[in-house]
Amino acid sequence: MPDLYNEADQQPPRTGLLLLQALILGLFCLFAVRLWYLQIHRGEEYALKARENQLRQESIFSPRGLIRDRNGDLLAVNEPAYALGLVREDCPDIDKAMHQIAAWTGRDFFELKAFYNKNKKRVKPFEPLILIPDLSFGQLALIETNKLRWPGLEIQFRPRRLYRYGTLLAHVLGYVAEANEEELEKNPELALGDYVGKQGIEFMLEDRMRGAKGLAQYEVDVNGRRLKERILKHPRAGHEISLSIDLGLQKLAMDWLDEEAGGVAVMDADTGQLWALATAPSYDSNDFSSGLTPEQWARLRDNPLHPMQNRVIQSVYPPGSIFKHVVAGAGLHYNMLDPKETVLCTGATRLGRRVFRCWRKGGHGNVDMERALVESCDVYFYKQGKKLTVDRLAEFAQAVGFGHKTGIRLPHEKAGNIPTREWKLKRFGESWQGGDNLNMSIGQGYTLVTPLQVARFFAGIVNGGKLLKPLLLKDAKTEVQAEIPLSQAQIELLHRALVQTVENNRGTCRRLRTKGVTVGGKTGTAQVVRLTDELKELKDDDIPYRFRDHGWMAATAEKDGKRFAIAVLVEHGLHGGSGAGPVVKAVIDYLFTGEVRLKPEERKAKARAVRALSLKKRKAPAANGKKEKPGAH
Amino acid sequence: MPIDRRLLLYINWPLLGMAVILFLVGVLNLYSASGFRLEEGMNLAPYYHRQLLWGLMGLIGMTVFMFFDYRHLKTLAWPLFWVSVALLVAVFFMGKTIYGARRWLDLGFMNFQPSELAKIAVLIVGARILSREREPLDFLRLGYVLGVGLILAGLIIKQPDLGSGLSILMILGGMILFRGVTARVFKTCLIAIPALLPLSWFFLHDYQKQRIMTFLDPTTDPLGAGYHIIQSEIAIGSGGFWGKGFMEGTQSQLRFLPERHTDFAVAVFGEEWGFVGTMILLSLFCFFLYQIVIIARDARGLFGSYLAAGVFFYFFWQILINTGMVLGLMPVVGIPLPFISYGGSATLVNFCLIGLVLNVSMRRFLFKQG
Repeated sequence: MPDLYNEADQQPPRTGLLLLQALILGLFCLFAVRLWYLQIHRGEEYALKARENQLRQESIFSPRGLIRDRNGDLLAVNEPAYALGLVREDCPDIDKAMHQIAAWTGRDFFELKAFYNKNKKRVKPFEPLILIPDLSFGQLALIETNKLRWPGLEIQFRPRRLYRYGTLLAHVLGYVAEANEEELEKNPELALGDYVGKQGIEFMLEDRMRGAKGLAQYEVDVNGRRLKERILKHPRAGHEISLSIDLGLQKLAMDWLDEEAGGVAVMDADTGQLWALATAPSYDSNDFSSGLTPEQWARLRDNPLHPMQNRVIQSVYPPGSIFKHVVAGAGLHYNMLDPKETVLCTGATRLGRRVFRCWRKGGHGNVDMERALVESCDVYFYKQGKKLTVDRLAEFAQAVGFGHKTGIRLPHEKAGNIPTREWKLKRFGESWQGGDNLNMSIGQGYTLVTPLQVARFFAGIVNGGKLLKPLLLKDAKTEVQAEIPLSQAQIELLHRALVQTVENNRGTCRRLRTKGVTVGGKTGTAQVVRLTDELKELKDDDIPYRFRDHGWMAATAEKDGKRFAIAVLVEHGLHGGSGAGPVVKAVIDYLFTGEVRLKPEERKAKARAVRALSLKKRKAPAANGKKEKPGAH
Repeated sequence: MPIDRRLLLYINWPLLGMAVILFLVGVLNLYSASGFRLEEGMNLAPYYHRQLLWGLMGLIGMTVFMFFDYRHLKTLAWPLFWVSVALLVAVFFMGKTIYGARRWLDLGFMNFQPSELAKIAVLIVGARILSREREPLDFLRLGYVLGVGLILAGLIIKQPDLGSGLSILMILGGMILFRGVTARVFKTCLIAIPALLPLSWFFLHDYQKQRIMTFLDPTTDPLGAGYHIIQSEIAIGSGGFWGKGFMEGTQSQLRFLPERHTDFAVAVFGEEWGFVGTMILLSLFCFFLYQIVIIARDARGLFGSYLAAGVFFYFFWQILINTGMVLGLMPVVGIPLPFISYGGSATLVNFCLIGLVLNVSMRRFLFKQG
């Protein structure tokens, strides 16, 4: 390539090289002079302009969607709250301002300062960092009058959530609280100090209820005072929510659970909507939304009755005798049980060397299926359960919704447990025993259910076999999750037995009789401990609270095309009939007559006394604590 | 072929160092400019993060451009030119429209701007033609060289992308000046160009006229086009001597301009680092340019010199125009500041061109052997 060498000998044009160097010099001089002019010569002036001529932007908070009950009564509303923020760019002496804030609000200066240092990078220099999220009116007045002397301090108006019935619906509504770091990271729409739903409906429907913030632009002068304001984006309010809950019924249920621990679920058997979902003891949603103090939190956490637990969906209990309807259903489904066939109950049955007793010492005599259900004969079901074996029982129980979450729109629901041979082997390393069959067939042992599962199953019996998804919203679409695998005639048999349990003079739910309403019921007792002979001798009132059995009652009620299923569990309520029965009765009266019958005062006093005694005893080292069966609930 | 140790020895390390330092300053500045959580919750994408990735790709591209002997580009010059022309034509038919301009080809994984390739092509073709010119250019030769540039520039201006089109002409123009023209040509141009410039007014779009008007008097439209200029000056000016500190820039309005991480990135820098910072940055850029001049001077063979001169002008014009615009010395045109402004393909091309001049510096000993 001769051409290559030819040009290689040549030197680059000298004038060209000089030109390039001159251009660099020119560039440097031109910009150096201009920068000097802008930043030094006119620097002060521009610095002033920068502060004077500032447009700032500010969020306009959107009101969170209101929550109403099924009749339109307001449950959760927004009320104005005033927050104190500090704009660090406008604040000449931050320490001095903090001392003043501490003096106004009684907060600790060092705490404020630590909070400021930790969070200041989260907001821009010209944006307020919220130091006090919730000023009282006294503080507000005090600060408002002195604000002009304290540039950089800003009062912000923002809506705050208020729950009108704080403890009544805490487990349904949940609560909102300031977004934590994780939530801020996840959702760029959130800013420090924003409230988000943390529990319950507030959590589950966060996106629907939050709305969208608006944006305002305003000019500020040197002292950060606002001049002109213009709305760039209007805020969009969150959607309003109507719950399926009936406030009156919820109040009634909570009143009956007062001083007790337990849960009530009332389900519309045609739609799956819950008219009441009560759990006690409860907590106050407002405590959480206004920021729980460490003492409040410690009290909730250390309360032996666990008020944070939603007993309707998060606590699992042995179903006791209410499970007999599942066992009877399984027998019908597999054609292994003739409803007419009778079994002789002598008060006990034997399995190997062990004796399994009926609750009625003298026995029931000859009983068929209906009588066995009505009078809750244990021996009848021991025998049927033995015949059916765990495999069929478990399969049928699962088919009617036990052992699975109901899918209610609340967080942290439990599925309960339906034991199988494999499960027991895995869990305990033991094979399934004949005695396990017998225990299972009367709802004791390893079977664990939630009150909501019970309500759903009984709603299925009264509505002709549809297992409905439990709904909390009034406008939610009814969803049939499964059908009870029985013929209409077979379901009718089960329903008739329920009604007879109320109507028949030997039935265990006679107290539920209500004029004009077709009521069905089933009691249940969930054993907490295997009764020792020592305890058996005691009268009910003398049994220590924590050894007392849980009382169940499941009921159906029907009148003029309105059908409901009700499940009530009272922890340590001794018997279903006496512990849970009056609650069910009050609910039925309310639903069909509108009558509000609150819990009698003496009943409350008695419950209070029993619990106080047991709490006192609990504090002493438990000598016979080993009797408590693990995993009962 | 074992790598000759002199290849590494002759690399212009100061230039490479400058490029990397400038790039890192840019990333740091982007980190501040792209902001974080605003009070209304707007969260800008982490541009600095993507810029870093582009920078890494740029370093790879740079290495590629250093590997082969740059003299082979002589034979590739014309094919490259025609490929550019073909792609620019293709944009008209298959291009992707963003902001009303057809500039991009969708390659599936990224959007590619053929105008970036055209800038490289004009450099190489220009170097090839000019390195063979024995005498300063007369009218005929000048017309030939300019004609080649106008084909590319015309296609780009049609997109429309006036900024890129003009920069092609300006790179080529710079290289022509580097070569030198006859006294007659020089004198004629000196008179003709200022005389013809006002005519171009009639070919400008309305928004372009508007920008020139607002440059001449920003206060005519203080809330519209003039706003950028005013805010940019305030931001830089308020930085004062020492600046407001990293991430402490307060020019709130500027923060809401999308250009603050691209064309106006250096305004954020000026506000936060003050006169001290801007002078250091300016010095870095000048030193960077000077190293390219050194390479042009020491290159063995005119082709290498002209390549270096072309790269020099490629960077020089961008620095001049962007900084001039941010400092209120020039009208607003969408030209980024190399290494400081956010931009994926620009970063890639910048590093590739650095690789090209390093290539020239590495191989300056080869001819001595021959």
